[in-house]
Formats: sequence, C-alpha cells, structure tokens
Amino acid sequence: MDSQSENLFGLEDGPFILDSEKTILVTGANGFIGSRVVRTLLMYGFRRVRCLARPTSAPGNLDKIAGEFGQARLDLVKGNLLSRETCKVAADGAAVIYHLAAGVEKSYPGCFLNSVITTRNLLDAAIKEPGLKRFVNVSSIAVYSNERIRRGGVLDESSDIEDNLADRYEPYVYGKAKQDEIVLEYAQRHNLPYVIVRPGVVFGPGKAKITDRVGSDTFGVFLHKGLSNRIPLTYVDNCAEAIVLAGLKKGIDGQVFNIVDDDLPTSREFLRSYKQNVRRFMSIPVPYTVWLAFCTLWEKYSRWSGGQLPPAFNRRACAIYWKGNSYSNEKAKTMLGWRPKIAMRESLRRFFDFMRDVEDKKK
Amino acid sequence: MIKVGIVGCGKMADQHAFQIQRIPDTQIVAVCDAEPLMARQMAERFHVERYFGDAREMLDSVKPDVVHITTPPQSHFPLGKMCLESGSHVYMEKPFTVYASEAEDLLKLADQKGLKIIAGHNAQFTHVMVRMRELVKSGYLGGKPVHMESQYCYDFSDPGFAKALLGDEDHWVRKLPGSLLQNIVSHGISKIAEFLSGDRPTVLARGFTSPFLKKIGEEGIIDEVRVIIRDEDETTAYFTFSSQISPAPHQFRLYGPKNSLIVDDDHQVLIKVINKDYKSYLKYFVPPFGYARQYLGNFRKNFGKFLKRDFHLPNDAGLKTLITSFYDSLAGKTPLPLSHKEILLTARIMDDIFAQVNDQQIPKEKGA
Repeated sequence: MDSQSENLFGLEDGPFILDSEKTILVTGANGFIGSRVVRTLLMYGFRRVRCLARPTSAPGNLDKIAGEFGQARLDLVKGNLLSRETCKVAADGAAVIYHLAAGVEKSYPGCFLNSVITTRNLLDAAIKEPGLKRFVNVSSIAVYSNERIRRGGVLDESSDIEDNLADRYEPYVYGKAKQDEIVLEYAQRHNLPYVIVRPGVVFGPGKAKITDRVGSDTFGVFLHKGLSNRIPLTYVDNCAEAIVLAGLKKGIDGQVFNIVDDDLPTSREFLRSYKQNVRRFMSIPVPYTVWLAFCTLWEKYSRWSGGQLPPAFNRRACAIYWKGNSYSNEKAKTMLGWRPKIAMRESLRRFFDFMRDVEDKKK
Repeated sequence: MIKVGIVGCGKMADQHAFQIQRIPDTQIVAVCDAEPLMARQMAERFHVERYFGDAREMLDSVKPDVVHITTPPQSHFPLGKMCLESGSHVYMEKPFTVYASEAEDLLKLADQKGLKIIAGHNAQFTHVMVRMRELVKSGYLGGKPVHMESQYCYDFSDPGFAKALLGDEDHWVRKLPGSLLQNIVSHGISKIAEFLSGDRPTVLARGFTSPFLKKIGEEGIIDEVRVIIRDEDETTAYFTFSSQISPAPHQFRLYGPKNSLIVDDDHQVLIKVINKDYKSYLKYFVPPFGYARQYLGNFRKNFGKFLKRDFHLPNDAGLKTLITSFYDSLAGKTPLPLSHKEILLTARIMDDIFAQVNDQQIPKEKGA
C-alpha cells in the first residue's frame, strides 16, 4: 500500500464497536493478508494491535510495519494456535479478534488440525474474555457450491455451502468450511459475537502466483481454463480493509460477507494483460465443456483404479472454479460501508510490476 | 465380518482407512483420537459409525477384532498392550515402539494371547521389493547375502514434514530418543534386518548434524547417519541416512556369493547384476546393452501394472500389499508378512544406533 492511500482510512469511518485504545488480536499477522490487516488497523489509529505469528515465520512484514508505525503500538506474540496456552495469552484482553491464521496442508487431517483444532482452541480462549466484542473468522469464497447456480449466475452470500467437500478433493477448502462450522457452533452455544468474511481470490505484491481460476501449467503447458469467466479477484489491501471493517462496524454480528473488488476482469483480459506486462508464454485455451469432460473421465478413472490417480480433477471442483459465475460485493458495500479503494486497473498494475520483478530475479 | 478400529486420526490414519476399506468382509467400526474432533472428522469422511476420544472406551464399547495404531510412537507401547490385552490383533505404525525392550514385550504378549501383531514397515512391500524378495527366494543370490547397502534418505526441502518438524519446538518427533531418525529409519533398517541371522548383530553408528541444519540453528537434530552392521554369519551391511543428498535416494543393494541385486525404490526399478564374464572388449558392450534391456523391462512391468490399475505410488502400494497380507494372515490364508524376528531386530538395531549417536553428541555439547 502506498502512502497515498493512507489518508483514505480513519476512525471517522465509524461508528465502530470499539475505540482506539482497545486491544485487537490478529492471528496469522505476518502472512500475506494478515500483515495488511495489521497495517490497516494501525492506519485507522488503533494503538494496541496484538500480532500472533508462528515461531518460525520470518518477521519481515511485521518488522517493516513496526518501523513505520512504531513498536509501541504492536505487541508481537509468537506461538502456535495448537497450544491452548498460546491462545490464552494471545486472546487476553482482546476486544476484537481477527482470525486469519490458516492451515495449508496437503492432507485432510492436516488441514483440519491446523484450521479447525486451532480455531477451536482460540474460540475456547475467546469466550472467556469478558470484553470480547467480535470474532472475525476469515474463510474463503471457495467453500460455496455453484451446483444449483446456472453458468453466469450470481454467487453471493446466500449461495449454498458445498455439502460434499470430500468429493472436491480440496483439503484446504474442507478445513475452511469446517472452521466456519465450528465458529457457528460456538456462536450458538456461547453467544459468541462473530462475523465471517469470505474473500475471493486475494492477489497483490507478495503472492507470486496466477490463480488457478485463470489456468495452470500442471501438464507442462499453461492451460487457460478461465476464458470469458469473471475472476473473483480482490486486491490484498482492499480485502484487508474489508476484513478490518468486518471487525469494527456496528450492527453486523452474525453476518457473512463475500469480498470481491469492482470491475472484475475476465480471465482472458487478465491473461492478456499479464502477458503484455510481465512475460509472454504459450497458453492453450480450454473450453469449460472440454475441461469438464476431462475432469469427469479423470474422476471415473480414479474411482475405477482404486485411487491409482487421485481425484485431483473432478466435476465439483471443475464447476466451482471454471463454470463461470458472477460475484457480488453489494452486501459488503451496504453493511460494511466498504469500497475497494484501489481500483482494479491500479491493483493489476501493482501486481504485474511485482511479478515482473519476480520473473527478472529468476533470470 | 472383521471389525476394525483405528486409534490416531492423523495423516497416516487416512491411508490406512483407504486400504482397509478395499478388503472384503472388513469394516471400520470405530475411530479414536485423544482429540475427539479429529476422531469426528475422520468418522464423517469415512462414514464410520462411532468415534471416541479414549482408546479404552473404544475397545470396551465396540470390541474390534483388529486395531490399527497410527498415533505418535510414544504411545505405541501402552496402546498396543491395551489392545492385545483386550483381545484385538494389532497393526502398529512404524516405528513399532520407542525402545526394543517394549517391542520384545509386545511380541511376547501377542504370542501369549494367540494374537497377531505387525509393524507398519510398508516400504518392505513396494512392487520392486516384492519382486526382489521373490528373486532372493528363488536362490538368485546364490546363498545368504554377503553384504547389503541400504540408503533411506529424507529431503528436507519437502515442505510437509520438515516444515512441521522444524516449525514446532514441541513436535513429538523431537521428543523421541532418536528424534528425526527414529521416525524415518525403520524403513531402511528393516530391509537389512530381513536378511540378518542371530539376535544381536554388531552395530557401529556415527551421526552428526548437517551443515544445513546447523546453519538454521537446529544443532540438536541429527540428520546424517552412517552405520555398519555385522551378523553372526559375517554378513555385513551399510546403512545411510542423509537429509542432504539430492535427490534423496531410497535404494537397497544385495550382494550375494553368486549374483547381486539393486533395488531402486524411487523409480521402482530392480536390476540384476549378473555374474557373467565376457571376453575382451565384449564386457564393455554386452552388459550395458543387457542393463538397457533390464531398464526397459522395468518400464514394461511398471506400466503394465499401471494399466491393470495395480501400480499406485510406492508408499500406497506398499501399504496396500502389507495390509492385505496382514488380513490374509488373520484369515489363516498365509503366514504373517513380517516375522517377529525382523521387527525385533529392526528395533534393536535402531536402539543401538540412537544410543551411539546420542553418546557422540554429549561430549560435543559439554565442550561447547
């Protein structure tokens, strides 16, 4: 985020549920989105931001922020959410908890352990905090199902949640969906004030990857599967501000917000710009029906062969990523008062600049 | 129907469950984990009727015929004992136990109770290891191996396990007497143990921390080990564990009095080193051609199995064969796929290695 955008933020954006002297906890604070959430909170004027980061995470992001805003406003807690003691220390006195720590593993048990058990530990600590005003659970837009949405139809907060995540063969999404479930369970049982935020594809400097929703080079050549689909992008700083607002705004407890930016590019537009601005490479366009047929065959083969090939390509995942839907950010705009302040054109420019640097370093 | 329980619902448990569900007349009736939510998620995904947070309760409630123990090794002995005493056969993930004395006790208890127990040495049952064993049984080596070399290495650039281990000061692996080694080397050691005679082979081990780990401040983890083993018939073996060789090899070489064999587990390739002499320059032309043919034969075998949907990745294939053979032995169709002697020798050799490399560490620390 550049200095230009700093004056766009402020406590005057309220009314908020807490004042600037209250303690705010951010888990996953050193991560791609988490560090931006910390920065945004400091820009808003909050003075006690507690950052929970893994003991092994390189302190780079937070060090930079501390240098900019002063160490006094940051309280760094190193630890693992699998430790109840860490959770207790981290949640102590917190008025708002932003839970961004995520478990990215290859296996279902690994993702469950690092998403659900960690969240449960944090929730157990959170419900003991008398001053807790809100628990913001950061989930993912990938937990939805578009089975009942036609091609081009709108996927929003009212859409169904995928009810058969095991068939999608996506441990990370499974972990995220189960994480949402446990937050809802605690909300019901313990009257926990919560908000769930489901960002789309978060992109920006710091994450050197073209989203799979555009395509991938799994088979040695870039298969462009997104074609005319709108990609549910959200620039990391815009997304961070939406998350921050989800923890601050009055009257939104129990709500779910999907976060995507305005003026979403189609996959074709994104890829064309990428090639023009970063690097030229060959890509093969793959229509949805062709990819769906491939995924269907792969899935059947996987079952027939007793898992000789894992069902990594399957119909459900194919549908959610490449069937082609439109996405709405109306709810976030209306209830959070959020606007993606960095326009898509500028967001893409910054991302492409970053990717160009990454590519240059590879040379 | 064979009723199966699984204790420990982490990553390995998933792999066990997939294999168990393939076996006819077998049903996973309960899963258990000290963290009940872990047990619940597994029960949900594998459609298992009951889940527990306590192993004793599971044993009493569902009385499984077989229990698969896939927990961290520190709990293997008490859980194994509890399951055997309750009358269940046991499949124990590797390493079998933390100490050889515990392995001995469990094996004895299984015998006393008339129950079967096996160690999760699935690397012994990859396609290529099965082919190697058939050749050895057919007398290809020309007698007992004279020497063996087992390389079982681990690539620390693997983000999964390495990240979990290096990122967590409290990781259970760090609390094992053999630390990282103990969780991995049993696969490489059991290959050697299978062909050793006697109960107490001589073991000479040297271990140290790689410069890579030292550089990142992990002085306490020994990730380089070289071992020499000799049995009472003077069969010898070298065992190598390294985290720094890239690509990390998983190979086993058997040198016999007549012929030798090379098992490349990474590529599922078995090469016969044939004792045949060729005149003059022919020995530089004919054997290479023969080796090329052997590699092509390995390709044909692997691909043929793949087409018959019987290949699977080595770890899965090994687990599939071992679990299937274990259940066949429970049904009385075959003997146990792993002998008690092999399990015990593996545990004893590991005990010796850890004792020696840990002894070597102490003076260094004192001097530091």
